Amino acid sequence: MTSTAPERSTALSELGLDGQNQATIGRLLATGNIGHAEEGADGRMRARIRIVPDQLIWDPSVLVLPHGGHLDIEFVNDDQNTHCALVPSNGDSKWMWLPNYSRGTMSVTLDGPGYYWFSSNIGNDEGRGLIGAIVVRGDVPESARLDRPQQPRP
Amino acid sequence: MTGIQDRTDIEYGEAPPAVDFGSLTTAPGTAPPVVQDVTYERILDARSEPQNWLTYYGAYDGQRYSPLDQINTENVVRITPAWVFSFSPHGLHAGQSTYAFETCPIVVDGVMYVSGWDGWVWALDAKNGQLLWQYKHAIPFDVSLCCGNVNRGVAVANGKVFVCTLNAHVLALDATDGSCIWDVTSGDVRAGESLTVAPLVVKDRVVVGSSGGEFGVRGHLDAYDMETGERVWRCYTIPKPGEPGSETWPAEGEAWARGGGNGWITGTFDPETNLLYWGTGNPAPDFDGEVRPGDNLYTDSVIAVDADTGEIRWHYQCTPHDLWDYDSNMECILFEQDGRKLLAHFDKNGYCFVLDRTNGERVRIFPFVDRITWGEITPDGQVTPRIYPEQEGEEVHFHPGPAGAKEWTHAAYSPRTGLFYVPVQDTGAKVARRRREFKESIPYWGAAVTVDAEDMAGSVSAFDPSTGEEVWRWRNDLPMCASVLATAGDLVFAGTPSGTFVALDARSGEFLWQFNCGSGHHSSPTTYSVDGKQYIAVPVGWGAWVEGFLPGMMGGPHGQAMFVFSLPEGQDSSGGR
Repeated sequence: MTSTAPERSTALSELGLDGQNQATIGRLLATGNIGHAEEGADGRMRARIRIVPDQLIWDPSVLVLPHGGHLDIEFVNDDQNTHCALVPSNGDSKWMWLPNYSRGTMSVTLDGPGYYWFSSNIGNDEGRGLIGAIVVRGDVPESARLDRPQQPRP
Repeated sequence: MTGIQDRTDIEYGEAPPAVDFGSLTTAPGTAPPVVQDVTYERILDARSEPQNWLTYYGAYDGQRYSPLDQINTENVVRITPAWVFSFSPHGLHAGQSTYAFETCPIVVDGVMYVSGWDGWVWALDAKNGQLLWQYKHAIPFDVSLCCGNVNRGVAVANGKVFVCTLNAHVLALDATDGSCIWDVTSGDVRAGESLTVAPLVVKDRVVVGSSGGEFGVRGHLDAYDMETGERVWRCYTIPKPGEPGSETWPAEGEAWARGGGNGWITGTFDPETNLLYWGTGNPAPDFDGEVRPGDNLYTDSVIAVDADTGEIRWHYQCTPHDLWDYDSNMECILFEQDGRKLLAHFDKNGYCFVLDRTNGERVRIFPFVDRITWGEITPDGQVTPRIYPEQEGEEVHFHPGPAGAKEWTHAAYSPRTGLFYVPVQDTGAKVARRRREFKESIPYWGAAVTVDAEDMAGSVSAFDPSTGEEVWRWRNDLPMCASVLATAGDLVFAGTPSGTFVALDARSGEFLWQFNCGSGHHSSPTTYSVDGKQYIAVPVGWGAWVEGFLPGMMGGPHGQAMFVFSLPEGQDSSGGR
């Protein structure tokens, strides 16, 4: 038997796969909340991502952008341990320390569409749960479309 | 925003500012401005500056030959690693199954420019391997890639480094610091389009070919203005209804729009004819020909494209109505014989095609691998298919398999010996037709495929272009899956899937030297010199479409390094064996 989508979070909780040192040593990746970036009048997107105390989880762990572009992320570390943020960006990945009870803003640029991983790449934060996804929606510019009829999508 | 409220019981501190990850290295962040003066004229005459490797094949003619001769048949036994640069796969993207280090290093006046697998570009000091700068384009994890997270190299000119990305962007980077000057979205990543090709600079343009045939995209070449990134022309390799060649596709339906024929390997260029010679990929779906009756032009073809307009001037189709996945993307080596301007193309279907490059006229066809069972091509060009996936679900076995008798990796030609040197794969496959409907960004093969993991062989084989006869063969237990390099030291360098990098005598095939690089070779080695000292550079990193070209080595070590060899200090060219 497998669970249906609405039952998934319940099943993860019952099995102990959504927290630290229950069924497994860490939590399954990106099982946390889903958040949306907001687009400002200046065209930049903004979001806030928090590290929850003693859970090794980004909140949200899935951040959804309406399209590719510039994104300012404020990271907030509410945990009592030091972590960091490594986020892909055109040119080079951006990296910042996140000492206990600190906050800081990072600016990244991502093409759409598709999804990208971000993480805390110290210790084994990644294996324990501090991996998240940035989901970029939208389409490539019209100039980059093939000369073709309408495409049937899966 | 994400609706998260600040906690009132915490007095937050300010986190240290975010930095570029690459700044946390010993890289100074800048390279000497050596590319500033690299012009079209210099690339045209690339062989006159053998200390450099200015363009993908070393020169526009695609010969992969260097006039450097300091390292030669007498002293090659003494070469040792001069430096190693290890890049490491990074994060989740370059996963266990897919990435390979397939690049061809470009070297200009002591600086090496290299691309990696996931949007990485590095500038290195070519003398000691010191990282100078790096650029990383952020690539979505979920891009549709037929054949791995790979990139085959960069092009340089006018102060810029040009590179393609897996999510179908074309970039121009400042060669001195890696900063992005322009970024063009060239293809539709949602439609399965990607870019893996090394760009080719011709005149004031950057020419790139598309990837994605296994997802049923319509292949094309694009030329972009070097300074602005504006598209100058696009050349579709599949004619749409009403265009010349469209009669080779079904008149009804949209097979042409799903037709493949991508130009995912760099072409060659002849300034006298002003033609680009570019190989095109297989038709889509790969193995189910019943949905695309006809010859399916211009798939599996050598096309001659006007460099100024993007118009196809002539074509030669190597495998009409392909049912075996026999892309013809491989190199087109330009050479002359008896005063005639010729082109040689070693195809996946097991035959070498020698054509008159002024008009596409067939000059000679000869086989270059032992086992060819899919069909036969006679010296006068008649193609007779014999074994192919015809009945739904019925398994057939044929040689060469879908990876071909030679994959995308390149042969070389030495004007000193007058011989071609070919990395040969001798591997079969079982294929059963399994029809499926086209859906965007979903693999569109039309078959179930299993490539042989046993009963295989490989070689570097030398051929006389005037007769097509094999002159010598250096046998290897495993198929040869990396480009070869020929030098004026009368050497042929080749990497094996088990990790050894070997040097052979170009005249006899005698095995002279080897070094175990620790991981299989699937790239294009180059040679250059700095301060009068010759170096041999080979990117090493095993992976990509291994299940397609050598499944018996799928579990082999991945690796991820640039190995560079030279004679030891104080060793001159007089050293003997």
